[in-house]
Amino acid sequence: MNTPESTAASLAVASHATVEASLSRLAALRDQPVPESAPALPGRFLRHCDEQTVVGVRAVLEAIGRYPGPRPSFERFGVVGSTCGAGRISAAQTLAKLPTGGGVVVSPHVVPQCSLHALASAVSVGLGMKGPNIGTSGGPHAVSEGLIAAISLMGRQDCEGVWLVATEWAGELLLDATGLPTNDPSCRGLAIAITREADAGLGLTLHCGSHESGCHETAGDSSGDPVGSLAAFAAALEMCRSGEVLESWSHRCPWGMEVRIASRRRGVVLDRDRSSPLREAA
Amino acid sequence: MSVAIHMPAVRSPADAVLITGVGVVSPLGNSFNDVADALLAGRSGVCSVPAADFAREQTQFAAPVDLIPEPPAGICPDAAEIARLGRLERLCLAPIAAALADAGLRPGQGERRIGLVLGLGAEQLKSWELDFLAGGSDVFEPRREPTIVHRLARLVGIGGPAVTVAAACASSGYAMALGRNWIDAGWVDACVVGGCDILSPTAIAAFYNLRALSRRSDDPTRASRPFDRDRDGFVMGEGGGFFVLERRQPAADRGARIYGELAGVGMSSDAFHMVSPCSDPTQAARAISEALADAGIAADEVDYVNAHAAGTPVGDAAEAGAIRLALGAAADRVPVSSTKSMTGHLISGAAAFEAVACLAAIHRNAVPPTLNLDSVDDACRLDHVPHMARDHRVDVAASNSFGFGGANLCLVLRRAA
Repeated sequence: MNTPESTAASLAVASHATVEASLSRLAALRDQPVPESAPALPGRFLRHCDEQTVVGVRAVLEAIGRYPGPRPSFERFGVVGSTCGAGRISAAQTLAKLPTGGGVVVSPHVVPQCSLHALASAVSVGLGMKGPNIGTSGGPHAVSEGLIAAISLMGRQDCEGVWLVATEWAGELLLDATGLPTNDPSCRGLAIAITREADAGLGLTLHCGSHESGCHETAGDSSGDPVGSLAAFAAALEMCRSGEVLESWSHRCPWGMEVRIASRRRGVVLDRDRSSPLREAA
Repeated sequence: MSVAIHMPAVRSPADAVLITGVGVVSPLGNSFNDVADALLAGRSGVCSVPAADFAREQTQFAAPVDLIPEPPAGICPDAAEIARLGRLERLCLAPIAAALADAGLRPGQGERRIGLVLGLGAEQLKSWELDFLAGGSDVFEPRREPTIVHRLARLVGIGGPAVTVAAACASSGYAMALGRNWIDAGWVDACVVGGCDILSPTAIAAFYNLRALSRRSDDPTRASRPFDRDRDGFVMGEGGGFFVLERRQPAADRGARIYGELAGVGMSSDAFHMVSPCSDPTQAARAISEALADAGIAADEVDYVNAHAAGTPVGDAAEAGAIRLALGAAADRVPVSSTKSMTGHLISGAAAFEAVACLAAIHRNAVPPTLNLDSVDDACRLDHVPHMARDHRVDVAASNSFGFGGANLCLVLRRAA
């Protein structure tokens, strides 16, 4: 049997960015020009996309814009899109009309734009990424599922890197009986470029803890990943990037695995033993 | 220091990832043998379904699952919780539990670390719809409940990683690929992988409005006709399959039946369009070529290709081009068929079900046919197997799956040494 010693993955976060926009601002975000240093999207590409796809694609563009050093083409990058509650506005509006309108009211965009793959596919199609593109989660474990899916894709040598794009409604999205929003919550997207260049950027370590200690202990209630885990992840990445903290940040998956990030910029590495403090690199 | 995960460059027999349990629910039956019998007999599971059930004004052709089997005794002890499950969850639970029972595994007992990867492309859309049609209002209310994969993992006692994977019509194949990666990475000792999907009014309406579905209204068994000159779209089906993946030694220790090896995986994206396949077959062919390379076999060693071919005019021709590009001269002599001619398109469950079809071909040494292939489209010229199964030794089978968003996948299944 493999031991945790042999099952940790050490990868680099080459770039990352977060985009957050209120629902009322999303319409403008669909047509907003891309950052100067990022590749252009096809014309009106985001027109039919789900709200979470819009912020996810925008987050990737921002992260590309701040990519350090020589930027790869990303053609051999894969994409993992991990969403939480995506597609709910379109689904609600469709279902509200279905009983009286029948099948003709169902938009042909519902399946390609509101299914779980839609975010990853939009990044792949819009930005020319030809590695695998997959969606994950859809629910409260979006950060956990996205991380493990992205890191496991990195096991393939034909994948130069993986964009992990995680999205969620940052506040409760309230809908009326016709599916129209009645409040103005924010939609949040985090994009992370994961590569194998271990000396670059932030260190991202997947620590494979004992599964028995996890056993889906949180799956029976409605909490799942802690609410705000995406925001916490984004904040931790930003702090590590700016070198503000030397402490690592950990995300514990419900099945017992742990993902830890730490900055290598100040010669800090993460000791794999949970109980040990961080130590200075030689 | 930490160790980067990697896949073995050259696999020893001990590194092979084997299939030791199979569970299936489908329009053709709910066991490996029933499905193999039906596929090789060329039996269609497509029928007329009540139009009103699918919010349509005219008769709809589809391939439904008639009866969802109960999970085998001993795998899911919580009968009350099973009774509360919705149809989509029961459709997934039955083959998950059957695969575990078939492999002789009881999650939660012993020290084996077991994971679950569920290929399901539109869980939320389906769940909201089923709830709404039953009088509920989940879609209108903000909820953060665990997704199906976590509920099912808990129900069957799986304590390892549990992830939902979506790549549209290739979802369950990507689930198989990810589970194989987890075993290679040493994250789990065994992994339950696969996927299922269900028929629903909005799904049928959405695909119909996309003009992806066949508009035939004469004979349901004649509507799904991949590669045929008169094909006009696909027929939707429901069901899928699940597998237990693990290494050879633990399987041998239990005396588990070995169905075959998941020998190779190739994945790529067209990066072309959210719906349409790319007319340039380069990326789809790359997925096939990488799967063969991953399995360490040459194109002329492939004995059977189970094509994705759903019966759409553009998709079938694009796939034929990809097969020809990847296999080269061997494409003239490798038998190719599409079992969607019998089952319809199982959407998220298609890739896993078609892996079952490949295992059936390996076990029965026969290639299932493509029904309704009366006149091969000139753009789809390959070594087709029309109407009737062909006796043919199959040691290596490749199964293609392509999905919206340009997701390409090829799995290579091999007779276990």
